[in-house]
Amino acid sequence: MGLKNIKVGLLPGVLATLLFLMPQLAFAASATSVDTTVWWVWVLGLFVFTFLLGIVAVIAGVGGGVLYVPIVSSFFPFHIDFVRGTGLLVALAGALSAGPPLLRKGLANLKLAMSMSLIGSMSSIAGALVGLALPEKAIQMALGLTILGITVIMFLSKNSAYPQIEKPDALSKALQIHGIYYDEHLKKDVDWQIHRTPVGLLLFILIGFMAGMFGLGAGWANVPVFNLVLGAPLRVSVATSVFVLSINDTAAAWVYLHKGAVLPLIAVPSVAGMMLGTKIGAKLLTKVHTNVVRRVVIILLAVAGLRALLKGFGI
Amino acid sequence: MKQETVHADKVQLAYAGILSKATTLGMILVALGYIVYVFQLMPLSVPIDQVAGNWGLRASEFHQKVPGAPSGWSCFSHAGQGDMLSYISIIYLGIVTMMCLVAAGFAFLREKNMIYTLVSFAQIAVLILAAAGVVSGGH
Repeated sequence: MGLKNIKVGLLPGVLATLLFLMPQLAFAASATSVDTTVWWVWVLGLFVFTFLLGIVAVIAGVGGGVLYVPIVSSFFPFHIDFVRGTGLLVALAGALSAGPPLLRKGLANLKLAMSMSLIGSMSSIAGALVGLALPEKAIQMALGLTILGITVIMFLSKNSAYPQIEKPDALSKALQIHGIYYDEHLKKDVDWQIHRTPVGLLLFILIGFMAGMFGLGAGWANVPVFNLVLGAPLRVSVATSVFVLSINDTAAAWVYLHKGAVLPLIAVPSVAGMMLGTKIGAKLLTKVHTNVVRRVVIILLAVAGLRALLKGFGI
Repeated sequence: MKQETVHADKVQLAYAGILSKATTLGMILVALGYIVYVFQLMPLSVPIDQVAGNWGLRASEFHQKVPGAPSGWSCFSHAGQGDMLSYISIIYLGIVTMMCLVAAGFAFLREKNMIYTLVSFAQIAVLILAAAGVVSGGH
């Protein structure tokens, strides 16, 4: 088991070190240099890279978008505008394919998702508009700081599988947000309700804005807010987050589409690679130690965040 | 030990049914569109080399330098070209959620759940405004 964990952690660990120390050696190009590599090498490389990211992302329990944007924008020659547009599509495609079984099992709750995404989708449009208007260096800097913040959240957050909510708040009662699902771990039905709905709504404005601005998807923020702030069970939080993603990312993706910040040449191999990778990752999920991979992803994110920050400073 | 019970309501099942079919179709369209594009099975509006030579530019600069590259709904006016077809398949992914929300909105209406009927149609309105370019900087 230990050897297996080392093997699983080795590839992304080596990749992270290589990318940080020698990006030019690793990918032999930067956005500013004249790129003489033929296009299909980049496209194929992107597909392979996103395939590996997909495997790692699902095992670590993070969305693909949050890994995709900082890493691809740091180490591939595409402008960050196109990377953010593609990052939203990567997160959107993943959310769309993951959705049906989560809804059918009753794990995802449509009322909870729709209540939060109505306001979140509006702010994600605003975030995308601001993000595409800001200078590149400011975006890189803000992205770097955000990714480093996410790294800290991932490192410190302790989810609560079954939060106990004694009394739902008035707004959640008015919005009929409560539910019941069959928990495969407990082998019984679990009733749930939520509280602090107004606080949750405010937080989803912020989350939507950041998702749109950086093209990150936002599972990293949706899940803690659903789980730790609103008090939804962890499984419901993870599943419902997928629906909030699919709505908010759709809204922001339209901004990128209208601004011409989506290139099919980059977007399709990214979406395909990530989706294939997540399918393989889901199969490996029971065979590898997820905590080890999660730690590696935290390191990978920290490295990518630091690189983005340095790029923002022109270093 | 309790047998697994499904607790999804009718609206969720309606949403899931459409989402499943629409996403499968979307993935097929995206794959086919891309094959047509990169293998140049149809004429392209912009050569791939030209796209690759400028993908390091800001989106706004890219479109100044590479006029004719798809953006927004412009792809439909040149739907007979390979790169536009690939772009249309991506546009389709942006419509899937709207289709599901329409189904959910009518399902809530049938249940006489006015709060979520309103929430569904308000959400659809936001997405339509974004898709139309009204609130998303479209032309």
